Amino acid sequence: WKKDEFRNCNQTPFCKRARAFKPGSCSLVAHDVSINDGDLTAKLLPRNQDPDLPSKPLLLALSVYQDGIVRLRIDEDPSLGPPKKRFQVPDVILDEFLSKKLWLQRISTETIGPDLSPSSIVYLSDGYEAVLRQDPFEVFVREKSGKRVLSLNSHGLFDFEQLRVKEEDEDWEEKFRGHTDTRPYGPQSISFDVSFYDADFVYGIPERATSLALKPTRGPDVEESEPYRLFNLDVFEYVHESPFGIYGSIPFMISHGKVRGTSGFFWLNAAEMQIDVLGSGWDAESGIPLPSSQSRIDTFWMSEAGIVDTFFFVGPGPKDVVRQYTSVTGTSAMPQLFATAYHQCRWNYRDEEDVAHVDSKFDEHDIPYDVLWLDIEHTDGKRYFTWDKALFPNPEEMQRKLAAKGRHMVTIVDPHIKRDDSFPLHKEATKKGYYVKDAAGNDYDGWCWPGSSSYLDMLSPEIRSWWGEKFSFENYVGSTPSLYIWNDMNEPSVFNGPEVTMPRNALHQGGVEHRELHNVYGYYFHMATAEGLVKRGNGKDRPFVLSRALFAGTQRYGAVWTGDNSADWDHLRVSVPMVLTLGLTGLSFSGADVGGFFGNPETALLVRWFQLGAFYPFFRGHAHHDTKRREPWLFGERNTELMRDAIRVRYMLLPYFYTLFREANTSGIPVLRPLWMEFPSDEVTFQNDEAFMVGSTLLVQGIYTKEAKKVSVYLPGKQSWYDFRTGTTYRGGITHQLEVSEESIPAFQKAGTIMPRKDRFRRSSTQMVNDPYTLVVALNSSQAAEGELYIDDGKSFEFKQGAFIHRRFVFSGGKLTSLNVGPLASSSTKFSSNCVIERIILLGHSGSKSALVEPENRTVDMELGPLHFQTGQHASVLTIRKPNLLITDDWTVKIL
Amino acid sequence: VSSPKHQFRGISPQDEMYYKSSDMIKCRDGSNKFSKAQLNDNYCDCPDGTDEPGTSACPNGKFYCRNAGHVPLLLFSSRVNDDICDCCDGSDEYDSKVKCPNTCWETGKVARDKLKKKISTFEEGVKIRKQEVEQAKIAIIKDEAELLKLKDEEKVLKGLVEQLKERKEQIEKVEEEERLWKEKEEKKRLEREKDGTKKTESETTSVGEGKTHKEDNWKKNEAIENYDKEYKQGEGNDDDKIGNWEDSTTDQARMEEEVDSELEAQLSNKPETKASLLKEDTAVENDEPLAKSETGENAGTKESSEEVLRKNDASSELSREELGRLVASRWTGENTEEQSGNMDSTNDSDEESHDISKDTHENDGYASETDDDNQRYDDDLEGDLEDIRDEFRDDSTSSERYYSDTELDSPDVDTQSNPSWLEKIQKTVRNVLKAVNIFQSPVNQSDAANVRKEYDESSAKLSKIQSRISSLSQKLKNDFGPEKEFYSFYDQCFESKENKYVYKICPYKQASQVEGHSTTRLGRWDKFEDSYRVMIFSSGDTCWNGPDRSLKVKLRCGLKNDITDVDEPSRCEYVALLSTPAACVEEKLQELKHKLDMLSKEEAEKHDEL
Repeated sequence: WKKDEFRNCNQTPFCKRARAFKPGSCSLVAHDVSINDGDLTAKLLPRNQDPDLPSKPLLLALSVYQDGIVRLRIDEDPSLGPPKKRFQVPDVILDEFLSKKLWLQRISTETIGPDLSPSSIVYLSDGYEAVLRQDPFEVFVREKSGKRVLSLNSHGLFDFEQLRVKEEDEDWEEKFRGHTDTRPYGPQSISFDVSFYDADFVYGIPERATSLALKPTRGPDVEESEPYRLFNLDVFEYVHESPFGIYGSIPFMISHGKVRGTSGFFWLNAAEMQIDVLGSGWDAESGIPLPSSQSRIDTFWMSEAGIVDTFFFVGPGPKDVVRQYTSVTGTSAMPQLFATAYHQCRWNYRDEEDVAHVDSKFDEHDIPYDVLWLDIEHTDGKRYFTWDKALFPNPEEMQRKLAAKGRHMVTIVDPHIKRDDSFPLHKEATKKGYYVKDAAGNDYDGWCWPGSSSYLDMLSPEIRSWWGEKFSFENYVGSTPSLYIWNDMNEPSVFNGPEVTMPRNALHQGGVEHRELHNVYGYYFHMATAEGLVKRGNGKDRPFVLSRALFAGTQRYGAVWTGDNSADWDHLRVSVPMVLTLGLTGLSFSGADVGGFFGNPETALLVRWFQLGAFYPFFRGHAHHDTKRREPWLFGERNTELMRDAIRVRYMLLPYFYTLFREANTSGIPVLRPLWMEFPSDEVTFQNDEAFMVGSTLLVQGIYTKEAKKVSVYLPGKQSWYDFRTGTTYRGGITHQLEVSEESIPAFQKAGTIMPRKDRFRRSSTQMVNDPYTLVVALNSSQAAEGELYIDDGKSFEFKQGAFIHRRFVFSGGKLTSLNVGPLASSSTKFSSNCVIERIILLGHSGSKSALVEPENRTVDMELGPLHFQTGQHASVLTIRKPNLLITDDWTVKIL
Repeated sequence: VSSPKHQFRGISPQDEMYYKSSDMIKCRDGSNKFSKAQLNDNYCDCPDGTDEPGTSACPNGKFYCRNAGHVPLLLFSSRVNDDICDCCDGSDEYDSKVKCPNTCWETGKVARDKLKKKISTFEEGVKIRKQEVEQAKIAIIKDEAELLKLKDEEKVLKGLVEQLKERKEQIEKVEEEERLWKEKEEKKRLEREKDGTKKTESETTSVGEGKTHKEDNWKKNEAIENYDKEYKQGEGNDDDKIGNWEDSTTDQARMEEEVDSELEAQLSNKPETKASLLKEDTAVENDEPLAKSETGENAGTKESSEEVLRKNDASSELSREELGRLVASRWTGENTEEQSGNMDSTNDSDEESHDISKDTHENDGYASETDDDNQRYDDDLEGDLEDIRDEFRDDSTSSERYYSDTELDSPDVDTQSNPSWLEKIQKTVRNVLKAVNIFQSPVNQSDAANVRKEYDESSAKLSKIQSRISSLSQKLKNDFGPEKEFYSFYDQCFESKENKYVYKICPYKQASQVEGHSTTRLGRWDKFEDSYRVMIFSSGDTCWNGPDRSLKVKLRCGLKNDITDVDEPSRCEYVALLSTPAACVEEKLQELKHKLDMLSKEEAEKHDEL
């Protein structure tokens, strides 16, 4: 990690200054509180105005939305002629969300506690109220009972630098490592404190490699640390434990505590942001009166530019907060089925022969995979949308050969366009003026893979639409319908730019400075690419686009991965909190490079990584071009077997994963979840980021050391758990010391759940479509269980019109019932399936010999069978043999 | 699915009895048993797949397709009814959306024809291999005999040299005494006359030196001429050489390299050149810091580029472009294309020339393999080359392939068949020794000169014999295969041109990749692997951020030695194919014949059925 190449807080003037503020330094008071257009509005002015130099007021607007969401906006008054309109991030908030606004009618006024001035209170939901305290200015959300949930500026750290004219002999320039930022608009930063009440921990604000529960960065007993940084950067060889921000930014924080539950705070702002988590007692010497004595976690938010556009989410459960947040920024797009399976990537599969070879080796070893990836070397001189003619003379044929086995291909398309006059894309973009401009107004010229490059201005819808057209089969010569896209380097990465990115004073359309939208640049690029693929398929084919840069809302456009990690155990370990954090902040479809990008993983690490990676929502093996080949069959027979088993676990669970992706698509609840999301009152889980839940059914514990013989696994809750491989029962609520097996990492099915599987393995997920299901019913202490299964065509958008099957399986009273929770059979667009359930496994039940299928009144056999078809497995679990029930039907199986 | 006709689906004829023997059938892994009704009932009862040979129900099962007209196939059960035709008889897709036509007859015919062709290659190849083996055996016997003889000669010659040395030292001692006496006398005389004639002595020396120098140059020139001659001969003989596995381009390249290295050696002796090279190095630091990371063999270079970046932090001396390249190079470890051209060639070609001179060295058979580690800037290099050229000049008339060990007949070796050679020397030495009377003073100058000359010549011969012994024994230590079938590889290099690279593979020595003037060593000879089906070259030039380069050469039967399909599947790990008669083993031929018999039987059966 090249630490020196990146600015720390002390080298970042706005951050350094803001961090020096003392609590209570804000003197703003709310005036003219009223209702306008259904919002609560006010003007913020300093308490003691200098009569000679009157301050310009800030305009405050507080809106309330369904489901307990408060939006607070603070900006300069446009009618007072500021030098420039401050940037407000468009295209992130769903229109649908805006339509959920509650039009405020009345304000009640109350003087709270020892306050001298009144507060304005508005209705938020049945249990909650939003409050604007006028003096000192503060906004908070409270329960009707008066208990606070979230507050902004309770410590008086709010500061808003209004744009102004440069004074004489004032110098606005900032220099860093030979780069000069002219800062033509001068200081414009914003900072404020946010408190989360009754919280034990805060989480979120990706992307960085660090623990799930965010450690304090300032305060007594806290080792002085940098704030958590949100600034999208291409960080070479990032380290596994650092508050430093990497490729993406989601300024959304979640708090969780045993007493009250969960709340969330989101600041929609795309400029550089720095966030301190303050250790308790940090304000002990401030001497200011605090409005509440509730326990809390304080945080301090700083941004270089933009406006205050913040959202308060009341929860109260973890899933509620995620649902509320994703109602604002959108839920995860429904991926195609193939995209949820295993991806094989390497920088680079050299040529068509190499591709054919790797493909055939998977078949030779009977290892399923769905997608083969091509990195930058497949292009003609890093001109995206082209092929190296010598290495890939027949790209269409190559894709067709893969497609004949139901497999797909992904090629890389990065945002830097080679400045080459013979490259039509560049010529056209130049002619149309579609590039981001430098501070002098010329096309910005930076350096990336192709050498001298320019960058499209994706802020403009026109340019995005133009870009999208480039993915049509006519424009992208050599592409076929089975080809999908990978967007890398979209932070954007600029090798010769300040901090390896674009200068902050580069200009986008409408005079927007790059500093104002930096963190959303990659998001727009991802969006434009995904929309291009939709267009390519005439709106019928779900896109698949993997992006490295990310922002709030990225989940609507596709998958992300955690970038250039390293082949070491620490990176395997940290991938879990990284993926969990992304999930908590709405971005379900993520994963880390299996094996680690840089360096050569030792075999044991590679095997463990496959075993863990099989549970990442996005499961892809990838490697740097300087590393040794590491396809699963290269490490001896035994290791091939172990890696095949790991990949097969994923394929076996595809029906379950796909159901979880649908859940994420409808509710925002992530596929991979921290334990506390499923067990919110179990304190032991709050900091656990070694284990995670896959949905609400499966708990997985990674193995993060080579020599591990024993592992401690905490199994939360009162119910027991069944070993995923053997069916052995373990008690919940305690930590178990378990023998480590080389064959798999520990995984457990929660009692009371039903998991759908497909136990037949094919070349790829495509051939599994008609294969029969297995249901694993894990009974709880009351001999009950339930689970769900979602199926659609795995490809099109017809599910949006109701073309899907959604079943709920309920086991109780000795009967397993399949219920329809999807569209009615009479629905006009219908998806159908001939799939049957070939096997039902009952965990936690014994003694029965047969079962009765109703309504047919057919008797089926029960016997002992293996839980898995891995070699060496024994018949040990009660199995209903060949019930052959149609997945589409309502039925009941009664244990006799 | 379970109709009797299909109940035995996916079972090979050999296995049918296993399923027919009883009503309850055991899973092969012993984990369970199943009834006949459960056989192929599309439900997996045996984790090992015993009960479902004909369906996809068991993940670990195997499906047998008969493929009448072609070879039977055992498929993973995951391929059964997956809408992809795997068996040429289409039997794997009996319940799927696709219709698989029976193509066994056509594909079978193609396969048989291919097999027949392969067999005929093998038959021919086996013959060639036999000849090779015979020749190798003879050659090795010859080598061993030569080695014995050389060792004898070495012993005798060593004795002579010892005597001569002793005598020479005695003479020198006498001369020294004489000189001191003379000096004393002279001093006395000088004191008397105040005038000296000392310069005679020094003049003689300087004249002598000048002569040696001239001789050197002359030798060099002749050497070059000889190379040219040889080169032309090589060219002319191209066609005749097919049977000799000698790739004439190899010869040619070697010749050229030799000349190059000659020139290079001269150049590198010029101090200015060195200085200018140095200067360029510093220029690299200042102007093109990235050029270093290209040539850089280790992380050190990478760091140095980082240093540059750091240094330039404040002052921003780096142009925007350079900075871009620098940062990019972290991920790639290499330069962008534009740069790699000119900057590197200067650095590389220097190294290359030394490499090549080493090649020559080795090929001559007069240097042991271990030499090449320390030869690079060895002071002896020039001298060694001189020696080689000597040999070359002398035997060029008698042999076209000067570098070939078996035919390498230096004058010394040439005369080895003639016993009088050694005797002659012995006699001469005896005479010389006798002629010198060391007790005579002053020493007879011509006698003394004779002793010196004989000493010089004999010790030169001795060292040649010794180095020949060392290289021969080094050679014989190699693993030439169970039947010495790889003996002829020892003196051969195989070349292949792929795109912009020329790959040069010299078994028992090294392998390299040549691009224009730059040479990258892919590996040194390591060993055979996989029962002599693979040659391993390891510990080649280091890759930035990666492993040392290595090369795996897979051998397959062919009538000529021919390198093909050089590839780098993993960074810096190369593979290549070598067709060679040495890989045409009899057992494999029998195997292939047997396979063809089986195939033809199937074919016949198929006809009967029809």
